[in-house]
Amino acid sequence: MRILSKFSLGALIVLTSLIAHAAPAEWQDSFEPLPSSEWNHDRAAHLLERAGFGGTPAEVSRLAAMSPKQAVRSLVHYRAIHNPLPPFEDSGAFDPGLDPFAPSRPAATDLAKATGESLGVKTKPAGNRKLQQVADRFLYWKRVTKLETERIGYWWANRMLVTKRPLEEKMVLFWHGHFATGDEKVQDYRKMLKQNELLRAKATGSFRDLLISVSQDPAMLASLDAGVNIKGAPNENFAREIMELFTMGVGNYSEKDIQEAARAFTGWNYKGLEYVLNPQQHDDGLKTVLGNSGNFDGVQVIDIILAKPVTSEYIAEKLYRYFVREDVTPAMRVKLGKLLRDKKFEIAPFLETVFESRDFYSDASVGTRIKSPVELTISTYRKLGLVEVPGIPDFNVLTESMGQKLLNPPNVAGWASGKSWITPGLLLVRGNFVYDTVFPPVNFIAPDRVADDRYGIVPVADKVAMGMDVTTATKPDYKEVTSMSMQNDRDEDFNTRLASYHAWRKAIEKVKAIPRMPARLDLSQMVRDAGCVSAQQAVDQLLMRFLSVPVDAQTRRKISALLESDLGTADLKHADSYMEDALRNVLHVILSLPAYQLG
Amino acid sequence: MEHAHTNATRRDLLKALGALGITAGLPLSPAMAAASKDKRILVVVEMSGANDGLNTLVPYTDDEYYRLRPRIGLRPDKVRKIDDRYGFNPGMLGFEQLYKDGKMAIVHGCGYPQQSLSHFQSMAYWHTGVPNGGERFGWLGRVADAIDPQLTPNFLVNIDERQSLAVHSEHHVPVVFDDPERFARKGLRQSRPLLDNPALTDGPNASRQYLDKVAASAREASQLVRAAWDGYKTPVDYGIRSLDLNKVAAMINAGLSSQLFYVSFRHNAFDTHVQQNELHGRLLSYASDAIAGFMKDMERIGRANDVTVLVFSEFGRRAAENTSLGTDHGTANHMYVIGKPVKGGHYGEVPSLTDLDEGGNLKFTTDFRRVYASLIEGWLGHGSKALLGGDFKTFALYG
Repeated sequence: MRILSKFSLGALIVLTSLIAHAAPAEWQDSFEPLPSSEWNHDRAAHLLERAGFGGTPAEVSRLAAMSPKQAVRSLVHYRAIHNPLPPFEDSGAFDPGLDPFAPSRPAATDLAKATGESLGVKTKPAGNRKLQQVADRFLYWKRVTKLETERIGYWWANRMLVTKRPLEEKMVLFWHGHFATGDEKVQDYRKMLKQNELLRAKATGSFRDLLISVSQDPAMLASLDAGVNIKGAPNENFAREIMELFTMGVGNYSEKDIQEAARAFTGWNYKGLEYVLNPQQHDDGLKTVLGNSGNFDGVQVIDIILAKPVTSEYIAEKLYRYFVREDVTPAMRVKLGKLLRDKKFEIAPFLETVFESRDFYSDASVGTRIKSPVELTISTYRKLGLVEVPGIPDFNVLTESMGQKLLNPPNVAGWASGKSWITPGLLLVRGNFVYDTVFPPVNFIAPDRVADDRYGIVPVADKVAMGMDVTTATKPDYKEVTSMSMQNDRDEDFNTRLASYHAWRKAIEKVKAIPRMPARLDLSQMVRDAGCVSAQQAVDQLLMRFLSVPVDAQTRRKISALLESDLGTADLKHADSYMEDALRNVLHVILSLPAYQLG
Repeated sequence: MEHAHTNATRRDLLKALGALGITAGLPLSPAMAAASKDKRILVVVEMSGANDGLNTLVPYTDDEYYRLRPRIGLRPDKVRKIDDRYGFNPGMLGFEQLYKDGKMAIVHGCGYPQQSLSHFQSMAYWHTGVPNGGERFGWLGRVADAIDPQLTPNFLVNIDERQSLAVHSEHHVPVVFDDPERFARKGLRQSRPLLDNPALTDGPNASRQYLDKVAASAREASQLVRAAWDGYKTPVDYGIRSLDLNKVAAMINAGLSSQLFYVSFRHNAFDTHVQQNELHGRLLSYASDAIAGFMKDMERIGRANDVTVLVFSEFGRRAAENTSLGTDHGTANHMYVIGKPVKGGHYGEVPSLTDLDEGGNLKFTTDFRRVYASLIEGWLGHGSKALLGGDFKTFALYG
């Protein structure tokens, strides 16, 4: 009986999903709420795809059973949902001697040379390479913060996968791309984690509140050189990015506005993990910003920026492009800006209107958005029903190879979206991600344990272990060394190649290892549970479960024929005991269709 | 000026190639490889993040330079002097040699009116060749469409994580990849027909049509690129960061029909606001090593006469140093045109260090599109006026 009801449900869903339903043309650009009569499984799937990372048919059915208004509310107003997730488990590789960290290796070793101590390490009074331990320590922290940041990436990805508040994580991802901050610049995973938690705490509240908090966030301050923005010598980096990237967009302010705003932010700094204001470094003189004059501080400048209609339009359009579609007409942009102002810059009610609108369910919106690498990866795992992000293949390597490494956006502008996610090369990488998920590599090397070839660490370690002297052991193996860059390593006080080896050894001793299990899939059970009895039904079930747009009849038949040929029969009952690999193969084919990139 | 003869030769060649039909998996015949050797190649190298031109090519006899940069200015005894006015950053042995060998044209004072100090805005202007305009396609994309109306497969190549706006083209699908080893689709044998030939869809979903188009290009290009990479071995040292120029060399070495290449020193690397000298010197040594290595490699495979490299950055940096031993966003900068056929030397007017604009920036003297025009006309043999939407006076960089 149970099987039967599942089967009929599955068959019904397949029928509706495989046929493209055109929505009325007047839905496009309309903020009118979608009537309950138009609510169905496909539209619920679309909502979950966009407001979260997609889900299993059961999760979609749960939303489909509500009214559209209730379904949207359940996703947007998530604070009441009990969502116990473990906090990030710090490896404990930090110690106070490392803060403040040196801006460069020469800065660290020069300080040690001048004062006899640097980064909490004293220099050796006699003997060879007196500063070796300082150089070791500098590189140690660089390795540590990289490795620990990758663990934060895993921690966050796991949240995205299992959270009961998918919109929360989706918004954190949005703000991370918006207030793009990367560990490569910040060089302190603790600040990156703190920022990530800030973005989560204020994900769907007031934009003003979030903007002020981010402007006083140590990772952001470090990232945009705020520490050197002081009275009499303002550094424009921070003020420029606030106007250009965080609020208004280019063309809505002058260079003079930036210089004046930079003065208002002087003295904003951090100490350790806390924001501090240095009053003696703050310029409290008269400034003129965007036509307003006064003895402004940074918060007042933020309020001046927020009062400009262009700011609401810039933020609203960016949210809309992230959640709905890339093409925004100038009229729509104005309309969205007004909506955000009407909602007093509160993100949750703004999104509620957007997700309820007929526009969100129009043909221009549904199945037209190219998933980002992180969305692609997480939604694939969610639809596979996984409860843990696989350790093989490595999540960070995967997403980086597709162009989106968490906690390391390419630059302050964050990630470009839409078509720019796709190149011929990247499309193949996306398909190969699926292959490596269904058929995990048998020669996997954990990147958080085995030293990267680029640093030349392993040969040095091997030679030192065989008793070779350091100078010989660290001589590059290259036959022909003509390049200048190889000569940078020379210094009598320490050896950077030796430091590189020491740093890696010490870092992997401290930083916890990422668990390495491949995805344990059970596609056989998946199609069994759906009540599929034929190859065609299994293929239809997978198409329904994973694709947001219908495929043509011929492709559908060809995939079914492939499965039937692999199984030697169309009868799943007969093939039940051996169908797993064949199902995985057709899943790879389905998820390699160009259409799978759409959500 | 038009080089009619060059143009005609190439056109004929392209027709011939088109008739042969280059398709995926088809091994290149020796005849095709030989024919494509007659083609001229342009490699554009982007130094993202706004490279500090004044500390790249140091005016070491100009006292004003040291007044503006008392702490980060590079002392005369440190720089690699190329003449009685200029010296390269100490890490740039490769550039020094290229200049002294007469293979490098240095174009001074490049910029454009109403300079944007935003990295992304300014880079978009350089990518499109249309400052303060809304051009949809990239300048190299438009060049490809103009000089290759036959749409030769793999004509336009961009090696990067993401496609650059510079190669965005109306008619060409640029080959964009990062790692040649990964530029291959995995899949079991019985699935290949479905994986390699997905059905094309029609209908109003523009994103879907775009994906179909890219999928077709990926299938065709990946085998050629991988074969080129597998068949490439070089004794030449490109230094620590090759800037993907070794991949360009591999494709040239394989005789592919690619003529326009775009690579970049990625991730806004040159944005040196703070404590810049050590980092900047290192970045420049990487760039200089890689470019010098590439030129050496071209010499090795006998293609040095066919290749020009253009090096640029979206703008320069502030003339004066800032309080954090770095430099803020600036304006005019050098462009470098490098190649064996290039007539080395200084071009354009040098901006004055004493006559700065109100923001303390160099006043540009050379519209950067003059350099684009010089390459389009002098190297690629095509008119530049329609392509660039204006009549830009060319420099005689060749012959």
